[in-house]
Amino acid sequence: MRSRLEVLRPIAAIALAAVFFFPIYIVVMGMLKPADKIQSSPLGLPLQPTGENLGAVLGRSDGLFWSALLNSVQITVLSVVLLTLLSAMLAHYLVRSHALWTKPAMLVLLAGLMIPPAVILQPVTQVLGAAGLMNSVVGVVASNVAYYLPFGVFVFSGFVGTVPVEIEEAASIDGASRFRLFWQVVFPIMRPAAASVMIFLGVWVWNDFLTPLIILGPEAGTTVTVGVYRSVGEYSTNFGTLYAFSFLASLPVLLFFVALQKQFVAGLTAGSVK
Amino acid sequence: MLRRVREFSGFALPGLFLYGVLVLVPIVWTVVLGFTDRNRFAAETNWVGLQQFQRLLEDDQFWLVLKNTFVVTAIVVVVPNVVGLALALLLNRETRLYRLLRAVFFTPVILSGIVVSVIWQSVLRPDGVLNAVLVDAGVTDAPRWLSDPGIALFSISGILCWQLLGFCVVVYLAGLNAVPQELYEAAIVDGAGWWRRFGSITWPMIASSVTINTVMLLISGFKVYEHILVLTNGGPGRNTTASIAFDVIEKGVRGDRIGFAAAEATIMLGIIVLLSAVVLRLLQRREVNL
Amino acid sequence: MAPRWRGAVAAATLLTVALAGCTSGGKSDSSSAGGPVELTMLTFETPNLPASLWDSAIARVSQKVPGVTIKKLVTPNVDRTTYAKQLASSGQLPDIMMAVNPQGFAEGGQLADFSQDELKDFASPESGAINGKIYQLPTNAQPQSLLYYNKADFAKAGITAAPKTWTDFLAVCAKLKAAGITPIAVGGGGQDTFASMYTWVGTVGTDVYLTDPKFSQEIADGSKTFADPQFVKAADKVAQLAKLGYLDKQGTSRSYADHEKAFRAGSAAMYPMGSWFASSADNDKPKFDVGVFAWPSDDGKAVVPNLTGGGLSVSAKAENVDLAKKFALEWTKDKETSDAFTKADGTFNTIAGYQPPADMGPLFKETLALYNQAVKDGTVTPALSIEQGDNGLPADLTVPIQQIAVELLNGKSDAQAVVSKLDKEYAGLK
Repeated sequence: MRSRLEVLRPIAAIALAAVFFFPIYIVVMGMLKPADKIQSSPLGLPLQPTGENLGAVLGRSDGLFWSALLNSVQITVLSVVLLTLLSAMLAHYLVRSHALWTKPAMLVLLAGLMIPPAVILQPVTQVLGAAGLMNSVVGVVASNVAYYLPFGVFVFSGFVGTVPVEIEEAASIDGASRFRLFWQVVFPIMRPAAASVMIFLGVWVWNDFLTPLIILGPEAGTTVTVGVYRSVGEYSTNFGTLYAFSFLASLPVLLFFVALQKQFVAGLTAGSVK
Repeated sequence: MLRRVREFSGFALPGLFLYGVLVLVPIVWTVVLGFTDRNRFAAETNWVGLQQFQRLLEDDQFWLVLKNTFVVTAIVVVVPNVVGLALALLLNRETRLYRLLRAVFFTPVILSGIVVSVIWQSVLRPDGVLNAVLVDAGVTDAPRWLSDPGIALFSISGILCWQLLGFCVVVYLAGLNAVPQELYEAAIVDGAGWWRRFGSITWPMIASSVTINTVMLLISGFKVYEHILVLTNGGPGRNTTASIAFDVIEKGVRGDRIGFAAAEATIMLGIIVLLSAVVLRLLQRREVNL
Repeated sequence: MAPRWRGAVAAATLLTVALAGCTSGGKSDSSSAGGPVELTMLTFETPNLPASLWDSAIARVSQKVPGVTIKKLVTPNVDRTTYAKQLASSGQLPDIMMAVNPQGFAEGGQLADFSQDELKDFASPESGAINGKIYQLPTNAQPQSLLYYNKADFAKAGITAAPKTWTDFLAVCAKLKAAGITPIAVGGGGQDTFASMYTWVGTVGTDVYLTDPKFSQEIADGSKTFADPQFVKAADKVAQLAKLGYLDKQGTSRSYADHEKAFRAGSAAMYPMGSWFASSADNDKPKFDVGVFAWPSDDGKAVVPNLTGGGLSVSAKAENVDLAKKFALEWTKDKETSDAFTKADGTFNTIAGYQPPADMGPLFKETLALYNQAVKDGTVTPALSIEQGDNGLPADLTVPIQQIAVELLNGKSDAQAVVSKLDKEYAGLK
């Protein structure tokens, strides 16, 4: 009885995965087909694969894809690095400090996990505008750091708990400042947490749509995700190119995922087995 | 003392400052705006008390938008959760094949909402892939997935489920693997069948995974925006697929009625905070501390 | 180990911050004494109006206006008015904008108005005025909805002449249906909700605006509501078309591009659409011959719902408003640009003395003839939800009307339900 079920397992799993993956298959295959084939045989394999769609996106006269890619990379790297550092430090401070205000501060921070961006988008543009940061990468980064800080603090505060206080006390007795203590003792132990925070935030910031659309605006260019949205209107008759743009826009994050698969899953595991 | 101040400013201040200025202040601002009649082009803004809230509650469109949000959120909280657990049980083996299959299911999770919408648009268009398959199979009146007002909302919910399923699968897998094997072995020795083992051991032990997934799905479903923007723009017909996040952006950022949209955003905030708190409370009580 | 790794992180951060500083945008300080002024211009790209068209026009006109460099901005989708609002909300209103509904912006003092002197070359210098002032150059007359039709389909159904009255029109639809041809194509799917309007624009033109051109103003001052019997009648005409099965059911799922593609592939016999389709059909002939006729009123008048406007607006907060206005006026007067847009989008430039290029295609010429005839007969009307300014509806009502139009087309709402929804939406805007 047991073995019969076991034989069915991979069959069922593969079948389900195939059906599940089908939409992605259509787009990836469509990207490699010339325009007429996409309409006439949407399901078929690209018998004469063509790179013309990919080429059309990469070789656009206004260089939209490349400038958008640069923006996405800048915004993501800056946001993620800053977020990791700031949330790690803040989490450590809040957990270790015994001041009265830290507990409520932590609650206020964690409450931020559920704020939908639509609620604060308009006032955020006003605040950034007042600081002269609208239309700039810095403005988007600042907004990202503030918005995702609760997540970083949430993950790191869980890990700070796993660092034995004795180690910190020992280092402190040896005369280390809090700063040195943090960097040389605590943070290295929290590396797995840092890895999962960076991975999650990297994906979320890269795929973010509303914030760069509204804050970066048309003047400072777009990100690659907003670029896909623009392509929907622009390539409305040319699906192959639209698919190519979507694929290229997702490629960096897909490669990132493939390279760091183990840490990804480990990050989720760590979070759920607190 | 000075050292304490320096530590605070180095460690805590930057994060707290940014959070305060770009999250807390905007929240307060939104709430305050909801009590005004601020319009983008009007010269002055006046305090109008609860008038915007009153108008919202009297507006059919608001209730429609709210209903849409609840429908999508309910579907998104339940379906990927249940199916995710089932899939996790199915895929709970450590060979290369299963790792690959898990990656397949996880891929949509790391795609942006815009890309997911582009993918599904080509599947659900009237002359798209799904209808092509149905027509080949002999279906004469293929459903209009995105333009039939009775179906469109469910199509969008389904797309979101597709995108979030992989996340639930991975979280459940982690939870399942954290259950000590000895418990199962002891239960088998005692003669417990599969269902009994699941109900008495597995289900209680993965409670924290259930919490994480449910809360994550709740927040994701509630804030759905990009999918609606690309696939239906709130239609077909008046607001049949508009969610509350979509309506807030339409009225407040892409439209002129800033005060009105702020009131709506305040209600939205209140609902999600309440829902999250309730759900978290209910679920965390179940979690077993090892 | 820790310090080394920390150093790498610090270096990476510094590098990216430096890069960000180099390329971050924001309004560049180009107004250093004597340097050229940089003005932003909001454009939109469609299959008819690709980037190359805009770029060459900008280059050409920039040469005529020394001291100005134009930074081109592109709307992410076709809805440039909504995008302009979004930009305005974050304080980034572009200096020059093409075909953006000035309503709201004008009353809020965000746009510069043009003087009568600046408008002296325009054929209808009062078109689209808001509170009597012109905030958008009334550059083009562009019929917004005409009945383009597949001549082969008409022949197949035994229809020999274009319908002259509404009853004739219904008879034509019945004949087509009997011959197994879908009579009327409709759109409005995906993001392109605007494409749902064209049938309704036609019936409101014949039944409301023809006899009561000031209807929108009467709505605004409260003397009429959408429940006015004439308006209900117009809505009911569309509802009847839906009920009788004359509308293509699949239409409301289609994006705008798919909508045109479907008509070209023979999805329906008639294609209510603006005159830009004439250019598209002339530039890329469909497999069948295309004819056109205007919307027939009950008593046989040929109505052309029209929008005169669609030109450039200038932000009141531009760095150099005069220079921006000069650019706008030069753009409008530049024959090559006008020719390019006429060819691409089927507009009739209203600058005095402008003649469309002689090599315009046959369908364009037919459309122009229809329009000129309607001008002579006094049957040019505003276009519902498209007309702007004092004689139009509030801009915030545009998307709701378009969405409600989809309900009319789907048969989901009847005329009474539709007008009461409209009245409610309108009341909500006050």
